Amino acid sequence: MIPMPNNILDVKNLRTTFYTHMGEVQAVRGISFEVDQGDVMGIVGESGSGKSVTAMSIMGLVDEPGRVSGGSIKFMGKELTTLTDAEMNEYRGKEISMIFQDPMTSLNPVFSIGNQLVEVIRRHTDLDKEQAHARAIELLRMVGIPEPEIRIKNYPHQFSGGMRQRAMIAMAISCNPKILIADEPTTALDVTIQAQILDLMVRLKKELNSSIILITHDLGVVSEVCNKVNVMYGGMLMEKASVEELFDTPQHPYTLGLLKSIPRDVTGERKRLVPIEGTPPDLLKPPSGCPFSPRCPYAMGICIREAAPLYKLSATHHASCWLHHKGAPAVEGFVQVEEESDHE
Amino acid sequence: MGTEKTRETVLTSLKALKAFFHNYYVRRVLGALLTIFLIATVTFFMMHAIPGGPFSRERALPDEIIAALNAKYHLDDPLWKQYVDYMVGLVTFDLGPSFKRTGFMVEELIATGFPISAKIGLMAIILIIVIGIPVGIVSALRQNKPADYLVMFIATLGVTIPSFVVAAVYIYLFAGVLNWVDAFGLNQPSSYIGPVLALVGYSLAFVSRLTRSSMLEVMRQDYIRTARANGLSRFKVIYKHALKNALIPVVTYIGPMIAAILTGSFVIEKVFTIPGIGKYFVQSVSDRDYTMIIGTTVFYAVLYVVMVLLVDVAYSLIDPRIRLGKKSE
Amino acid sequence: MPFQENDFTFLETNQKADKEQVRQALTYWADTWRRLKKNKMAIAGLIGVILITLFAFVGPLFTPYDYDEQQTDFANTPLHVEVFEIDTDFYVYLNPSTYRLLVVAEDGTFLHRLEQTSLDAINKQFHYDNAGEDVIVDFSYKVLPALADEGIDYSIIYKGVEYKTPLKVVPNQTFPLGSDNVGRDILTRIMYGARISLEVALFAALFSLVIGVTYGAIAGMVGGRIDNLMMRFVDIIDSIPLLLYVILIMVIVDNKGLGTIVLTLGLFYWVGMARLVRGQVLSLKEQEYVLAARMLGVSQPVIIWRHLIPNAMGPILVALTMMIPTAVFTESFLSFIGLGISAPLASLGTLANDSLDAIMTYPFQLLAPSLTIAIMMLAFNFLGDGLRSALDPRLRKG
Repeated sequence: MIPMPNNILDVKNLRTTFYTHMGEVQAVRGISFEVDQGDVMGIVGESGSGKSVTAMSIMGLVDEPGRVSGGSIKFMGKELTTLTDAEMNEYRGKEISMIFQDPMTSLNPVFSIGNQLVEVIRRHTDLDKEQAHARAIELLRMVGIPEPEIRIKNYPHQFSGGMRQRAMIAMAISCNPKILIADEPTTALDVTIQAQILDLMVRLKKELNSSIILITHDLGVVSEVCNKVNVMYGGMLMEKASVEELFDTPQHPYTLGLLKSIPRDVTGERKRLVPIEGTPPDLLKPPSGCPFSPRCPYAMGICIREAAPLYKLSATHHASCWLHHKGAPAVEGFVQVEEESDHE
Repeated sequence: MGTEKTRETVLTSLKALKAFFHNYYVRRVLGALLTIFLIATVTFFMMHAIPGGPFSRERALPDEIIAALNAKYHLDDPLWKQYVDYMVGLVTFDLGPSFKRTGFMVEELIATGFPISAKIGLMAIILIIVIGIPVGIVSALRQNKPADYLVMFIATLGVTIPSFVVAAVYIYLFAGVLNWVDAFGLNQPSSYIGPVLALVGYSLAFVSRLTRSSMLEVMRQDYIRTARANGLSRFKVIYKHALKNALIPVVTYIGPMIAAILTGSFVIEKVFTIPGIGKYFVQSVSDRDYTMIIGTTVFYAVLYVVMVLLVDVAYSLIDPRIRLGKKSE
Repeated sequence: MPFQENDFTFLETNQKADKEQVRQALTYWADTWRRLKKNKMAIAGLIGVILITLFAFVGPLFTPYDYDEQQTDFANTPLHVEVFEIDTDFYVYLNPSTYRLLVVAEDGTFLHRLEQTSLDAINKQFHYDNAGEDVIVDFSYKVLPALADEGIDYSIIYKGVEYKTPLKVVPNQTFPLGSDNVGRDILTRIMYGARISLEVALFAALFSLVIGVTYGAIAGMVGGRIDNLMMRFVDIIDSIPLLLYVILIMVIVDNKGLGTIVLTLGLFYWVGMARLVRGQVLSLKEQEYVLAARMLGVSQPVIIWRHLIPNAMGPILVALTMMIPTAVFTESFLSFIGLGISAPLASLGTLANDSLDAIMTYPFQLLAPSLTIAIMMLAFNFLGDGLRSALDPRLRKG
C-alpha cells in the first residue's frame, strides 16, 4: 500500500509478545491500520484484547519481558520500531503523546502540576523558564481549568479527577503532537465529566490539527466521537470500518455481538440485550484459528483451523471472517466478496 | 459599634488561632511535647512502682541508713512533691545526683557521654544514608541481575546478624587474630571503624532493602509511565520522578533507624568499652542506679521524639499530601 | 490455501473449543504453598526453622548433660584435644588455657584431673601429682628463644621420659563443642539456650498476636470515634522508643522468668499487628460476603472471628513469622545487657554475654551462640520473606 499523502501513522502487521516464565504471551498478533490527519480512530475491544498493548507498542513503552516482535510502525514515513529508547524520546510527548485511564495515579503526587507541565514543555522546546511557565498557564486555560495562575501551583491531590484528566490533556498537547493516544481516558471519571473530557479532546484536536487514537471498550463513546473504528479481539483485528459502516452494517460476528450487548437504541424501542457467551481467550495458549471461534455462533470448520484474512468489503470497510468467503453459507447481513484485503 | 469591633477582632483572632493549630507543623510540635510529657510521667511512676524503694535490694542496710539515704535523695517526700520536683528538674536540666557514682550529677554524666555516642551515631547515620540509598537504587535498577542478588544477599545477612555478633567477630578477627586495630576504647581514628561498622550493619542493610523495594514499587506506578510517555530521559524519570517518591518510605524509616542506632549503641559501647552514654546506661541498669536510669531513659526518649519530629518535617517537605492536608476537591 | 470438506459448514457447540477459558483454580492455601515451594530461599528457611526447632526441643534428649551440670575440672576445654601417651595405657591431655592436666581415655574422653603440686618458675615447669608419681609439664619451649625452633609450646615429662608430640589430636569426645568456664557442655547449653530463645520468641509473638488481633479487629469493626481514639493510643505507643521501656520494665521486675520476658515483649510489640489487622478488617468489612452476613443478622463478634480473621490470616501469618526473629533479637539483646533470663537458665543472648569477657581466649564460646542466633534469624526471615511474596495478591496472578 502506497502511503497516502496525509497518512500520519501506518501500522503494519504489528506483533507484540511477552516472554514470561510461563511461556510466550502473544498480546498483539499481526494487526494493521492507518491513522490519517484529522482522524479520531477508535480501537474497541474487551480487556485483554490487546488494545492497550497496541498503544504502548506505538509509544515504544512495552517493557520487559515484552517487546515488539514483528511488523512495523511508521510515523510520517519514519520507522519507529527500530529506534532506541533515547531516539524514541524525541517523539514521545512531542509528536505522539498519550493520556491514560486513571488520572488519579497518572500524575506524580510529589510535584506540582506546574512543575510537571513546565518540565515537558522545556523538554521538547527551547522556551526558558518564564516562557514555559506562561505556556503552561495558557495550556491549563485551554483545557478549561479555572484560575490557572493559582491552580498551576497546586499538587495533583488538590485537583479533582476531572481536573486531573484535564491537566493530563494539557500536558499531552503541550507540544502540539500529531497524534494523541487516549487509553480509556474517561473510564475512571463520572459520567457527566466523561462527556466534557471527550468534547474537550475533540475540540483541541480540531484547534491543533492533530489526530486521536481513542482506546475504549465503550461503543457509545466511539459512536459519538470517532470517524474510524478498529475492533480487536484476542490480539487480532476483527473488523475495521468507518464509524457509520460499523454501526449500520457490522460485518463480523464479534462486532455484531458487541452491538447487541449494549443498550444503544436511542429510539426508545425496548430491545433485549444479548450477552456474548463465554470469556476472552487466554493469550498464553490462544485457540488455533480465529480467536473468536469458540464463542462464535457462526463458527465453521475452517475457523478453528485458520484465522480468516482481512476481506475488503469497501474502500474503508474490512473484516476478518470466513463468512465473507464466497464458499461460505450465506448469512443474513453478511456480504461475500472475491477479494481479500490488499495488505500483506 | 465598639462591641461590634471587639467581636470582630475576637473572631479574627480566634480564626487565626484555629488556623494556627490546624497547621501541620504546629500540630506535630504540640504532639511531640505531649509525648515527651507522657514519657517523662510514665518513666517517673514506673520507677516509683518498685516495691520497697530503690535501696531495698542492697545488702541488708540498717533502717536508719536507709532513712538517711531516702532523705538525701528526697525519697521521703510525698509522691506528688517528688513528681513536681522531678518535672521541674527536667525542664531546668537538673536530673539529680547519681545513686552510684557519688558526687556526679546525672546530667553531667550524660553531658560527658553523649558527645562520644553522638559522634559514632552520626558517623553511622551518614554512612547508612550515603551508602544504603544508592546501593538500593542500583540494586533496583539491576533487578534480578547478579549485582542485585549479591547486594540483597549481603543485605539479608546484615538484617539478620545481631550487632553484638558483628562486633565480637570484628574484635576477634581484626584486633585478635590480625592485630590491626585496638579492640577497645577510641584512642585512634581506626578505633572508630569497628563500632561504626557494628552500629551500621542492621540499618544499612535495611535501608538498602527498603530503598530497593520502594524503588521497584514506584517504577511500576502510572505516573512513571506518564513521565516516560512525555519523552523525559531515563535519567530524569529515575532520579527526579521515581526517586523522590521512593524516598518517602525511606525517610519514614529514619525515625526507627535512629532508635535502632541509639539502642544499638548500648551493646556496641559495652563490647568496645567506649565511654559513651550507652555504656553508662547499661552500667546503670546493672548497678540499679535509679536516677541515672530515669535520666538516661528520658533523655533518650526526648532525643528520639525530637529526631522523629525532624524526620516528619523532612517527610512533609517531600510529600505535599502531608504538608497540605489530604484533599481539597 | 487448500480448503477442506467441512470448512464451510457450521460447527456444533461440542466441536468448538471450550468457550470458557478458565485456568485451573487452586484454593488460597494450595496456591500459596505452590508458590512458596518454588522459592528456594523460603524452602531453605523452612528447613532451617524445622532443624532449629528439632535441635532446641529434641536435641536435649540426646545429650548426657543437663544445662546447669558443672564439671569444674573440665572447664574451658576446646574443640580439639591433644592426647599424649606417657605410659602404657596412660593418656593425658593438657588444657593449654587453664594449665590443667587431665587424665583421658585412649579415645580422648576426659576421666579426671591431676592436682598441680608445685610450680617451678625458673625452669618454667609445672608439677602434677599422679598417685605419688610426678608429672612435669615443661613450658620452656614457649619462652626460651633457644628452643623456639622446636615449634612446640610444651612437653610432658613422666618417669624421666620427655614427650614432645602428642600421640594424636582428636575432637573433644566429652564435650562436642567444648565446655565453658565452669565446665558445662556448650552444645547442651546452646540447645537449651535455643529452646529458651524460641520459647520466648514464640510466646511473645503469640501474645502480641492475641492483643494485636483483638485490638485491631475491634478498632476496625467498631470504627468511627472509638477507632480514632484507639488508633491515637497506638500512635503514642509508636512514638516512644520501645526497647527503652522493655529495659525499664525488666529493671523494675525482679523475677526474670520466662513469663516476665514474654509478657514484657508482647506488651510492647502488638502495635504493628493491631495496625495490620485493623487495616485488613477495614478493607474486608466492605466486602459483599461480610455485608451479606450482616444482613442475615450475624453478630459482630461472629463476623469478626468467622469471616474477617480467616481472610486476614495471610498477612497475619507473615507478620507472625517476622515477629519471631524480632523477638529472638530483642531477647538476646536484653540478655546481652544483662537483663535476660535468670541463671542458671540461659538464652543464646546470655551465653554470648557470658563469654564476651573471654573473647580473645575462647572466641568459640562467643561465636557458637552468636552463630546460632544468626542462623535462627536467617531461617525465620527467609521463611517470612517467602511467605510474604507467596501471599502477595499482586503477584498471585503470575
